[in-house]
Amino acid sequence: MLDLLDISKPFADLDAPVDLETERAITRWLHAEVRLLDAERYQEWLTRCIDPDIRYWMPDMETRRRDDPRGMFAYGEAAYFDDSWKELEIRVKRYNEPSAWADNPQTRHLHQISNIEVNATEDPTLFAVHSVFTNVRNRNEADQDIVHGRREDVLRAGPGGYRLLRRRVFIVQNVLLSKNLNTFF
Amino acid sequence: MCDTGCAGNAGRPNMAPVYPKAGRYPDYARLVDRNRAQVDRRVFVDEGVYQAELQQIFARSWLFLAHESQIPNPGDFIRTSMGEDDVIVVRQRDRTVRAFLNSCPHRGNRVCMVDAGSKARGFICNYHGWSFGIDGGLRGTDGKVYEKDETFEKAQIGLTPVAQVDSYKGLIFGTFDPNAPSLLEFFGPFTFYLDIMLDNDEGGTEFIGGAIKSEIDCNWKFPAENFVGDILHAFWTHQSGAQAILGGGVDLGKRYDELAFQASVYGHGIETNLDKVGNTRTLGYPELVDYVFDLSERARDRLGDLRSRAIGAISSCTIFPNFSFLPGQNTFRVWHPRGPGKIELVVWTLVNKNAPDHIKELYRKGVMMTFSPGGVFEMDDGENWEYSTRVNQGFVTRQQPLHYALGLQSADLDRDLPGHIHKGSLNDANQRLFYTRWAEFMEHDNWTDLQNGETAPPQKTASAAE
Ligand code: FES
Ligand SMILES: [Fe+2]
Repeated sequence: MLDLLDISKPFADLDAPVDLETERAITRWLHAEVRLLDAERYQEWLTRCIDPDIRYWMPDMETRRRDDPRGMFAYGEAAYFDDSWKELEIRVKRYNEPSAWADNPQTRHLHQISNIEVNATEDPTLFAVHSVFTNVRNRNEADQDIVHGRREDVLRAGPGGYRLLRRRVFIVQNVLLSKNLNTFF
Repeated sequence: MCDTGCAGNAGRPNMAPVYPKAGRYPDYARLVDRNRAQVDRRVFVDEGVYQAELQQIFARSWLFLAHESQIPNPGDFIRTSMGEDDVIVVRQRDRTVRAFLNSCPHRGNRVCMVDAGSKARGFICNYHGWSFGIDGGLRGTDGKVYEKDETFEKAQIGLTPVAQVDSYKGLIFGTFDPNAPSLLEFFGPFTFYLDIMLDNDEGGTEFIGGAIKSEIDCNWKFPAENFVGDILHAFWTHQSGAQAILGGGVDLGKRYDELAFQASVYGHGIETNLDKVGNTRTLGYPELVDYVFDLSERARDRLGDLRSRAIGAISSCTIFPNFSFLPGQNTFRVWHPRGPGKIELVVWTLVNKNAPDHIKELYRKGVMMTFSPGGVFEMDDGENWEYSTRVNQGFVTRQQPLHYALGLQSADLDRDLPGHIHKGSLNDANQRLFYTRWAEFMEHDNWTDLQNGETAPPQKTASAAE
């Protein structure tokens, strides 16, 4: 397997920026993807944006000394997401239930994506994409949760367009300053 | 303070550990009305009540600190809280575990800033550089200033130790009360139920690495009472999660009337349906269900028939005051109080050490998918507890005491099991006893009264259950 596809491995130095046209296309894809999430069109997000071989990981972030070999996170330990297609599908099923009370009444979602860097890889169908996000969720009258983080994505170009094959999500919070995560990143 | 004119040692500091004394708060104890099965809503929002809880409950009870497996070697440590007090739990060179307040006796700064670490030689305060050994003693001070000061009594100074630390089958607990009874006495015969998860196989248990921490704007007692005996909420709150994972609602099975019960000792409580794999099934991995079926067969010799049926059953448990777990789903958690209206929730996954690696991995993912902030069950709990807390800011709203009266006639005096037994898991019995225990802590300033009140176990043996 390419290192790129190993969910436990970070991107190597990204030094192969793609041409403007590809960058424009992938940037558009990223914006369209989060628009589906903001609109809670989760099933569509799954079927249109996600590759069947998806690995989707968001570890818990710990505070450790700089010289601690474990570092802030470790693959195989506690995580918010460590999903393949099967797990993502279960989460989407819950959203689609009328009794998903944490989403009824409806949550107001916003994902802001920036710092997009698109890089070519040794496989011409795969792109290594780095981005950062701000996610705001607001419910009821004044319940607001804000999560910031960065993402390391691998997109696969296929006949139907791009699909997300791998995503590593690193939020900046240690204690999640929210009661839940009723969204994807 | 005496810089001039005082003779001898009169002005030297007394740096011996200080442990608080308990008081008596009978007015707060009366907020729990046993006769009417009601709880006054002020217990969830009142600042005075909350401060009394920190003094009466969190400064005296045995509180969960860590699993032995998190700190296997000398110098391994984790940072946690006891109530709102920041605490370091550290493995000593003689392999015992000690715990200390994470506050420098100089100006009070934290001496440990990280969540955990391994093989530490000590802790150095970032402010003026005082350094402490893993035994808590002051080892050194930065530079030579103190060494030249003849009145400086280094040997007197150290991190304040948690008064007692002990462990039960892998779980380490501590209490700030030097006079607290032993951990085993604090549990009483409730260990009979703890063993369902802690001793169902050879080789003991371990926590999977890492912890998920989150904040919920609720009073700590709502989640604690939820796990002590509120399976009722699962049908409504968790409908969507059950549909997503099981393709159907929560089902207590055909033998509910015959099997399900609640048990309570000293406010600790478990409710279980004895259906073998109901909780495990909700993790969504059939391999785990097979594993628990096998485990349950093997465990009959160790635990007897009844408890072997509880390993994966639809069930939940709280150790008074704020440590909870779900048998079968293997999530273990502490609801740390952070004021009357806020908690920090810390969640771990427990597995049997001798379980195959792929089974451990499925538990890790299964708990993530269900009982973590993005999990399909936990997702829907938080808002209920937040609004159950927050509405009581309404002056008029909080005048109406709450209803805890399900199953008033359900006491089961025939079943020979330890503790107060009530028929059926759909029952407020354990929650009534949880709040009765809460009231006992408010009422009494001594352990003799605390251990001999209404929540104390009725005198009987567990022999028939074996
Ligand atoms: S506060 Fe710790 S050395 Fe001064
Ligand atoms: Fe729940």
